[in-house]
Amino acid sequence: MPIKIRQKKKRNQKKSQVEKEIRTFNLPDDEISENLKENIERIRKITGNSSDLIIRPLKGNDIVNMTAVYIDGLVDSPTVNKFVVDSVFQNIDPQPEGKKDKQGLFEKIFAEVVSIGEVKQLSNWKDVFLLLMAGNTLLFIDDVPKVMVIDTRGGKKRNVEEPPTEVSIRGPRDGFTESIQTNISLIRRRIQNPNLWVETMKIGNITQTSVSILYLNGIANEKIVNEVRTRLKKIDVDSILESGYIEQLIEDQTLTTFPTLYHTERPDTVAGNVLEGRIAILVDGTPFVLLAPVVFIQFFQAVEDYYSRFDISTSIRFLRVLTFMISLIAPALYIAVTTFHQEMVPTRLIIALAAQREAVPFPAVVEAMLMEVTFEILREAGIRLPKAIGSTVSIVGALVIGQAAVEAGIVSPAMVIIVSITAIASFSTPSYAIAISARLIRFLFMLSAATFGFYGIALLFIFMLVHLCSLRSFGVPYMSPMAPLSLSNLGDTIVRSPFWAFKQRPHLIGNQNNKRQGENQKPGPPASRSLKTKK
Amino acid sequence: MEKAKIDAIQLFILIFLFELGSALLVPLAIEAEEDAWLAIFFGLAVGILIFLIFHALYQTYPDSLPTQYMRNIIGNYLGWVLGFAYCLYFLYLSARVLRDFGSMLLTIAYHETPLFIVNLLLILLIIYTVYQGIEVMARTGELLFVILYVLAISGFILIVSSGLIDLSNLKPVLEDGIVPILNVAITQTIFVPFGEAIVFSVILPYLNNPKKAKKVGILALCLSGINLMIVMAVNIAVLGVNLTKRSQFPLLTTIQSIQIADFLERLDVFFMLALIIGIFIKITIFFYAAVIGLGDLFKVTNVKQLIYPLGLVVLLLSNSIASNITEHIQEGLVIIPFILHFPFQILFPLFLLLIVYLKKRKKNKA
Amino acid sequence: MIRVFGLFLIPAISITLLTGCWSTTELNELALVSAIGIDKNEEGEYVGSFQIINPGSVAGSKSTGQGTASPPVTVYTSTAKNLVGLSRNISAKASRRLYFAHTSVVVIAEELAREEGIKNLLDALDRDPEFRTTTAIIIAKNARARDLIKILTPIDQIPAENVIKMLKTNETMSGENINTKTRQVIDALSTKERDPVITGVELTREAEGGKLESIQQTEPESIIQVGGIALFRNDRLVDWAREKTARGIVFLLNKVKETDISIDWKGNEEAVVYNMIRQHTTVKPVIKNGKPEIDVHVKAEGIIGEVQVAIDLSNPDTLKRIEQEVNKEIQGELSKAIEKAKENKTDIFGFGESFHSTYPEHWKRFEKEWNDTYFSELKANIKVESFIRRTGLRNKPYLKDTN
Repeated sequence: MPIKIRQKKKRNQKKSQVEKEIRTFNLPDDEISENLKENIERIRKITGNSSDLIIRPLKGNDIVNMTAVYIDGLVDSPTVNKFVVDSVFQNIDPQPEGKKDKQGLFEKIFAEVVSIGEVKQLSNWKDVFLLLMAGNTLLFIDDVPKVMVIDTRGGKKRNVEEPPTEVSIRGPRDGFTESIQTNISLIRRRIQNPNLWVETMKIGNITQTSVSILYLNGIANEKIVNEVRTRLKKIDVDSILESGYIEQLIEDQTLTTFPTLYHTERPDTVAGNVLEGRIAILVDGTPFVLLAPVVFIQFFQAVEDYYSRFDISTSIRFLRVLTFMISLIAPALYIAVTTFHQEMVPTRLIIALAAQREAVPFPAVVEAMLMEVTFEILREAGIRLPKAIGSTVSIVGALVIGQAAVEAGIVSPAMVIIVSITAIASFSTPSYAIAISARLIRFLFMLSAATFGFYGIALLFIFMLVHLCSLRSFGVPYMSPMAPLSLSNLGDTIVRSPFWAFKQRPHLIGNQNNKRQGENQKPGPPASRSLKTKK
Repeated sequence: MEKAKIDAIQLFILIFLFELGSALLVPLAIEAEEDAWLAIFFGLAVGILIFLIFHALYQTYPDSLPTQYMRNIIGNYLGWVLGFAYCLYFLYLSARVLRDFGSMLLTIAYHETPLFIVNLLLILLIIYTVYQGIEVMARTGELLFVILYVLAISGFILIVSSGLIDLSNLKPVLEDGIVPILNVAITQTIFVPFGEAIVFSVILPYLNNPKKAKKVGILALCLSGINLMIVMAVNIAVLGVNLTKRSQFPLLTTIQSIQIADFLERLDVFFMLALIIGIFIKITIFFYAAVIGLGDLFKVTNVKQLIYPLGLVVLLLSNSIASNITEHIQEGLVIIPFILHFPFQILFPLFLLLIVYLKKRKKNKA
Repeated sequence: MIRVFGLFLIPAISITLLTGCWSTTELNELALVSAIGIDKNEEGEYVGSFQIINPGSVAGSKSTGQGTASPPVTVYTSTAKNLVGLSRNISAKASRRLYFAHTSVVVIAEELAREEGIKNLLDALDRDPEFRTTTAIIIAKNARARDLIKILTPIDQIPAENVIKMLKTNETMSGENINTKTRQVIDALSTKERDPVITGVELTREAEGGKLESIQQTEPESIIQVGGIALFRNDRLVDWAREKTARGIVFLLNKVKETDISIDWKGNEEAVVYNMIRQHTTVKPVIKNGKPEIDVHVKAEGIIGEVQVAIDLSNPDTLKRIEQEVNKEIQGELSKAIEKAKENKTDIFGFGESFHSTYPEHWKRFEKEWNDTYFSELKANIKVESFIRRTGLRNKPYLKDTN
């Protein structure tokens, strides 16, 4: 038996290798030719002579043929004009010896003429096309079997703006952009420490997207960094267009509605998390940066919590957990109470509810489902539509339909109230990822409430707890530091203890080195003012 | 045996929740009338002794399951049979508790729902939990512990603040002397819930720090015992002996008596949540012990394969164990303690310990 | 993993969907019963009257636009040999299932309580998980329970709620009745150490109170009012206690919250009113010469509520004298209450209970003949201490001293 399996495995491996070769485009990896024309032809052929491919023959003097090749729009045009084309023109020595020693001329241009930071020489075609497509300028000289790759990456980029999805009242106003370089620099500016290490790799067989992992060496847990690295390296897909691709390809558990990676647009959030020992994964082309490993409670923490005082932050966090619970089970509770546990409602209220439901033709579940689905449709419509129309839709939906439905006796006013509260509650969760999973689970809760009342709700709730406890994010238990309990980290969960009490970094996430501040950080009035007498 | 570890806090919480499990909800030791809490106390004292017995066995074989060390102690064949008997015992107990739970739920709220369905839903949840393994069980326990305690404390505050507690209901203390109390302790409280902690002999090998087992176990037993004593005393103080005796679920009746400001009343849901949490943990632990034990005895490589079929066994057993609640409770109070609890909780462990002791002496002499 | 989900989710979902919903009842399938009345007819069968709320016509919920065209409650009546039968027989008349969780009052006819006793009535209420034993229980004095149930009430639209509120207000304002809950009655019935008391309620004017017109006028034609406390011996109603005697009973049960005690002053009857705002009564059993005795100690605090004669309240001695008068008055009420109970040989105060918990060994001797012998010969030592804390806004009445 085992032998057979092994054979099968081998066969599978072979098969997958073949498949991979088919999927990747065969870019040349032979030596660069001496013949300039041949080289240029080759580039033309492989790029299909695309119209944005610029081939600029340069003639320093009559003797030497040079050609610069770049892709329009990917390069920073002024840089190309000024530091490549212009410098070459200005500085080429019109002496005839250049004729003979073209190799020397190449070296000279490389060393003296091109005044740009990153320049390299390649003699093999292997990476040339990737570099060209990344926005580098290629410089060929006739009779030299080499190519000079000049970093002229640039082009149009979005400016650093306030992130639209994570607005804060207090805190920095910059947000990530689509450019990975800008994003890394935004973090570097916050953590000016050589121990902030960045590793970049290309993922996606066709797209060749840059993906960087960024962490604080010595604080981040080596094991987790390795785990992230291996999982990223394992990715073998055609394209990575957004960090969501990466997220879905490296998470621990796929059959769950709960996010096991955190995504954010805010550099200060990333900096804060990296300082706790987490690892940031940046993907070129998206402003959303991933953070790993994360724990459940993090999705209820906004970065602003650390900027305002601890009492306020703590109360707001409690509020957020409450709203999460409301958005999860409010309609389910309504269903359970009106169809199973009528005894629990105070008499006056049950009479009011009963009066409202007198005319409603549907059972409470159907009523609730109807309203919830309507609401979800409205929400989806509101997101997709242009902003101007979006607000119209919400007005029509919320006011007109709600009011008319109640007056027509299709739904009861109480149900409208419940659905509205649920909706508002789900908007107040700081993380969209967790809010949307609550939206999904809410329907399960409604179904279970409809069939088994509170028993159903309680069972599903325990099921959810067990499921949450079984999740891990890069090996870190999802419900930590509550379960497993880590007393010294409880200060930054639902409560946010004062800064002077943040003595340690999260245990399970960081390295062994957990101390994060000196002793006696608690501020106080000058000793002369205090009631304590000095000994 | 799984490759997993739990820490001392988690063990503490599991024992605690396990002990409270169903004992919280039934009229525990009410035959001792006003002195029910005293009977619980005696039960606790003996329960700790029972814990010490199987703890001593655990100390001798800190890394092996009871099913393994039984074979070591009394020989492969006999040990296997005894281990198998223990597994069946745990399986039977999980079915019993499941039946308890189902009947309670039907009595309280879901009269028209068949027992089978109510039990099925819970056993599905339990199967899922056991699938996830001991670590997840322990972590879930930690969260449930917090929920249960929040419930308990708020419930207690509500009871006290609605002025229901009448301490004179707890008098007279020791009306008929100590004999009836001891009688209740011997026939009831020693075995349920304290003696049932014998199931933790299966869980103990998972502890990451074996030295702490003794302290943690005794502390957890004590805390749960004290909690049970308080709950029973509160029940009697609120309801009086008579009503407590007549109630199937005195805690429910107590909670139903809460009336504050014409709004905070009819808080049955408190009870139901406590009921589900407690029972859930209790059955999960019994069931887990049975699964792990049987997996070891039959040398099953992937224990997970056992969970689903055994779950069905528990479900069917819970349905066919008795024809009505009275018969079920009568079995639990009269027959089971003598033919099952006594040998499995006291006799066999003592016997094993004796043999271990004799073997050691022989070794030392030789 | 998919297999795992298959194993759990598929059974769970199929159960949920296949089996439907056993215990579900939509709100509009329920008839909320607000009050139950129990009578007995000539054939010896129970007659149950069920007051059912019409949610649509209770004010505050205007959804159906019917307004108050229909009365806020509807009463259905049925006959059967037992209580479960009563509610089952209703199903032949009512369109919805009777729902008892929101029942706030149970009315028992005096005749029934006197002749047959209430023992057999309460088991169904005790056993049913839907019915709350915190529900109030009252006796319809000189009336059929059915008539009481039928009456419509002004202000509080649901009659049952009206009755409950009235009892509660009266209990706190005058201390002359107790809001007895079903559970307390069942408790008392289940032990020999205490007999039950239940508040009585009576009807003023023998008019048709079941029509909307009766409350569409400033003075309703028929009104429900508190009618004293019914004393039970075992489970049978034996006597009524009213006003001061009733208050004495409530004092002894330590249930008085606030009350007014009027005392005579220099020949003027009930001229000074003492507003008691707080009291505590302790009952302590003692055994003297092998005989049970009871020590009652009342501690009361209050203010002067009204003075109809000219008294100088700024003089501490006057206050002392008033306090003494108050003491005497309360003491009198308490003795009256105890006398009444002794007469009827019914230990409504639960003295037996306190003997049992304090002297368990003596109790065994008393137990058998408690009501007949020991209780009716029980000596009560009553001690009252009352305090006047304040005298209101004025320290002297505007009346000039005439004597």
